[in-house]
Amino acid sequence: MTVNQFLILGALLFSLGVYGVLVRRNAVAVLLSIELMLAAVNINLVAFGSLLGDTLHTGHIFALFVITVAAAEVGIGLAIVILIFRNRSSANVDELDLMKW
Amino acid sequence: MDAPLRAAMDFPILSVIVLLPAVGGLMVLALPRRRGELVLPVALALSLITLGAACWLLASFETGVAGFQFEEQVIWYEPWGVSYHLGVDGISLLMVLLTAFLFPIALLASTSITTRVRGYFASMLFLEAGILGVFVALDLLVFFAFWEVMLVPMYFIIGIWGGERRIYAALKFFLFTALGSALMLAGILALALTAGDQLGRPTFDFVELLGVDLGRAAQFWLFGAFALSFGIKVPVFPLHTWLPDAHVEAPTAGSVILAGVLLKMGAYGLIRFNLTLFPEATVDLVPLLAVLAVIGIIYGAVVATVQKDIKRLVAYSSVSHLGFVVLGIFALTSQGLQGGVIQMVNHGLTTGALFLLVGMIYERRHTRQIADYGGLATVMPLFAGAFLFVSLASIGLPPLNGFVGEFLVLLGSYLSLPGYAVAASLGVVLAAVYLLWAYQRMFTGPITVEANRGLADLGFREVALLAPIVALVLFLGIFPKPALDRVEPAVQGILDRIEMTTDYQVPQFGIEADLPEAEARP
Amino acid sequence: MFDYHALLPEFILGATLLVVLGVDLLVAPRRRWLAGAAGIVGLLAAGVPLLTLAGVGGTREMFAGSYVVDDFALVVKGLFLVAGAIVLLASMSYLRGDRYYEGEYYFLILASIAGAVVMASARDLITMFIGLELVSAPAFLLAGWRKGDLRSNEASLKFFLIGVLSSAVLLFGMSLVYGTTGESTFTRIAGATAAVSGESAFVLGVLFTLVGFGFKIAAVPFHFWAPDTYQGAPLPVAAYLSVGSKGAGVVGLLTICYSAFAGARDVWGPALWVLAALTMTVGNLTALRQSNVVRLLGYSSVAHAGFILVPFAMAAAFEGPALEEAFFGSLTYLLVYAFMNLGAFAAVIAIAERTGSREIDDWAGLARYSPTLATLLGVFFFSLAGIPPLAGWFAKFVMFKAVLGDPGNAWGVSLAVIAAVNAVIALFFYARVLKAAFMDPAPESLPEGAPLSRPLAAALVITLAVTLAAGFYPQLLAFFGEAARGLALP
Repeated sequence: MTVNQFLILGALLFSLGVYGVLVRRNAVAVLLSIELMLAAVNINLVAFGSLLGDTLHTGHIFALFVITVAAAEVGIGLAIVILIFRNRSSANVDELDLMKW
Repeated sequence: MDAPLRAAMDFPILSVIVLLPAVGGLMVLALPRRRGELVLPVALALSLITLGAACWLLASFETGVAGFQFEEQVIWYEPWGVSYHLGVDGISLLMVLLTAFLFPIALLASTSITTRVRGYFASMLFLEAGILGVFVALDLLVFFAFWEVMLVPMYFIIGIWGGERRIYAALKFFLFTALGSALMLAGILALALTAGDQLGRPTFDFVELLGVDLGRAAQFWLFGAFALSFGIKVPVFPLHTWLPDAHVEAPTAGSVILAGVLLKMGAYGLIRFNLTLFPEATVDLVPLLAVLAVIGIIYGAVVATVQKDIKRLVAYSSVSHLGFVVLGIFALTSQGLQGGVIQMVNHGLTTGALFLLVGMIYERRHTRQIADYGGLATVMPLFAGAFLFVSLASIGLPPLNGFVGEFLVLLGSYLSLPGYAVAASLGVVLAAVYLLWAYQRMFTGPITVEANRGLADLGFREVALLAPIVALVLFLGIFPKPALDRVEPAVQGILDRIEMTTDYQVPQFGIEADLPEAEARP
Repeated sequence: MFDYHALLPEFILGATLLVVLGVDLLVAPRRRWLAGAAGIVGLLAAGVPLLTLAGVGGTREMFAGSYVVDDFALVVKGLFLVAGAIVLLASMSYLRGDRYYEGEYYFLILASIAGAVVMASARDLITMFIGLELVSAPAFLLAGWRKGDLRSNEASLKFFLIGVLSSAVLLFGMSLVYGTTGESTFTRIAGATAAVSGESAFVLGVLFTLVGFGFKIAAVPFHFWAPDTYQGAPLPVAAYLSVGSKGAGVVGLLTICYSAFAGARDVWGPALWVLAALTMTVGNLTALRQSNVVRLLGYSSVAHAGFILVPFAMAAAFEGPALEEAFFGSLTYLLVYAFMNLGAFAAVIAIAERTGSREIDDWAGLARYSPTLATLLGVFFFSLAGIPPLAGWFAKFVMFKAVLGDPGNAWGVSLAVIAAVNAVIALFFYARVLKAAFMDPAPESLPEGAPLSRPLAAALVITLAVTLAAGFYPQLLAFFGEAARGLALP
């Protein structure tokens, strides 16, 4: 079995996520892009786990942890986005410019 | 050594001398706000006790013995070989005495300070503790710590209680010194680590480091790092630009301490560390340092001549005088080094006194412009007399103290660097020009400005401030032997070490001259 | 395999979390501070087993080596617990001046500290990830604590997005490391490194991990969120972020680099050299032009992260004792920095309450009407600047000594020179704040501020005592650095 196709998929997804973080203006879209990056990590982990034939299934377990933690973080993130949306009726990240160096 | 003396040696007199002013500073801070009138007496008392302890140190110091006395050593941070190591030799002894002597005077001269009095006197006392620590530390890390400690109170003294442009001057002083310290810190670390390679464990102990062979290239780098830091402090031309600003803006007592003691820390560092730890680099770099010293002597004197502000004039005269000190040090002869050390003391006394006098007239008229005065001798004869006396001492007129120092420096540098000595003697002439010309403009002739007509002459307190300095100036001029006797072994030790580690030969007059006698014909 | 003694601090912290929630539910709103007090008691109680563990000594491994309690872990846990207690002390009066929740705040701080404590023992990719998230997630919420304040909102969102992004980058790196070595426990990753050290996927994994941690510790060029977040977040939270959260990042970086990537020092060493040089320089230079004290402290803490990385950066060139010295240097710097920076923040909180402003210009003449606070500010700022006899000079000294571990190494010497220049630049902006406080004239009408609250005063006294004592007697903190240096040698 070869893992290259999975790794390439993972790398592509990760790059797509980075691209999204950089260009999207809506905070929710940025959040989604980060989720894409996390999904890429999960693909990597599961693919490596299967490739290595790890008897402890470290890769799979790691992926489960990532999914759980990511879910918790999305909860926090959406709460913050909602807060901001309530206060200023917009969730655009480039309007957040109260503080500049 | 008899028993009482040995007991005296065991008593940690140096720690006490360093700690007394610090304790005084804390006491002043602890005084209740309502008892403002107690601040000056408490501060003065502590600094006088410190002076007493320093005199006791002088009395029990063994003359004619090389090496350090009153050593104290306590392990401080073992993994790096850092220990709280104090000790004095003849050179540091004189510096400690000078510091302890000038501080009570400076404190008593601070009666014009009316805002935040507790903070001021506490800062002065902490400053004294830091300076004394610098002069007695024998561990490089401890030395560095004291060196930096001194920086903070001086920053506040200039910045809070100074003149109009005080904040600019304070920051400039702070940054120049801090830059120097950063270099020195790097040098100290490199030194300790090189020692670690050779001894198997790092050490910051000055005495142990003397036994380490650094190698030629390393000596040059380290010499540079230390010399830059000390050179800023001295200040050696062209690192002097902070000095006129700091001097002019500092309050009177700050200027007295700055000129009297702080600048000496740089010269002291050059003698204590550069000459002994990096002898090869010293011998090779003599021309460079001597050129800078001579430039400093003449540049300082010329710029002083054209000053319109009397305080600035005195400040630039410091650049010139410290040039003599540096020239004497790097003449690398017994006479030159002794002269340099004596000149450090002399300059502390005379320039300190000049700043005091400038402060006194400033308190009366609130101007420092020479043009605003004229004919003062008729209304303030005592003041004029004191000014003339101190100026003459500063110029180096026999039998006052300045003569001894400058004569020895010129003699010593003539032996090894004749050309430089001739050029430097121009500085003596110029000193006479700028000081006497200033005297002439301020004190002689008719009174030109009406406001000066009603000026009061020196009061009792002001006379009391100046009298001890005048007495010392006379004493050191007529009978410098006690001071020279104590400096001589230390200087000889340094020169012996240079002769031993390099192929440099200390030049002598035709025959082996007994040095203290060679100069004793003022 | 389940060592209750070794895990006792974590258990106590967990129990404290529940107690704090319970207290918050049961007491009247006016007495919510009891929840904070319970939190402080819990933190101190969690410190007791650390002492007994140190007394017993030895290294305790659990879960197949993925959770290790050794001297290093004990020291770092102790640091986080003490830092947490100081932050709670500094928070109490601040929270009561606010209209926002109080009990939940204490809960979240404690949760974050629990994460930091887990980080200290984590010797496995998964455990470290969990620990790191436990540190960060409550901190995201804390940064946005002042719900109605737009700046606080903004701070929170920036911090959150960067935090999650950095986690994703970190995880991607970790997945590559896991994939190439086939292991997730640090010691076994180190064992497998030799076989894969040249593989680009592995190198990429190491670098991604570094970048991930770079965000967490706010190293340049991953630092831009930090000043914004510090400025917008409630002040005690900023204090916590600059010490607890940053400290956790440093600890994670130290453990993962020195143990898991011990064989890849030639990869992370040079990368950290660049990071350290950039972080110091950019942090200090940007701090020069700040007018807001909190932002200034934000950049100063960026710069200090650079100083912490300095000894670390030379690891690739060092062997044996010099390598150990480098580890000791970073850790001791962190210990000293934690106390003096918490002290600085506590002083800033107190002065901000007194003057009602965080602008440097508004602090003019502070020494006239509040000499105690001004003096405290002076002590902590001079300590941060590294002036003896305050603790900061020792940290600087350790750092310089470590990076010059091999005096012949040009990279080490040049980094030391960069650090020395930066130390001088840093003096300038610390002195500028003090200039305003001590030398500028006081305003005509003095600001009407609240008197210093007792918990905040306690926080100031503790940090002041440590800052002074460790300056005069460096062993106080160096002892802990010494105890923990064993980790450096793989």
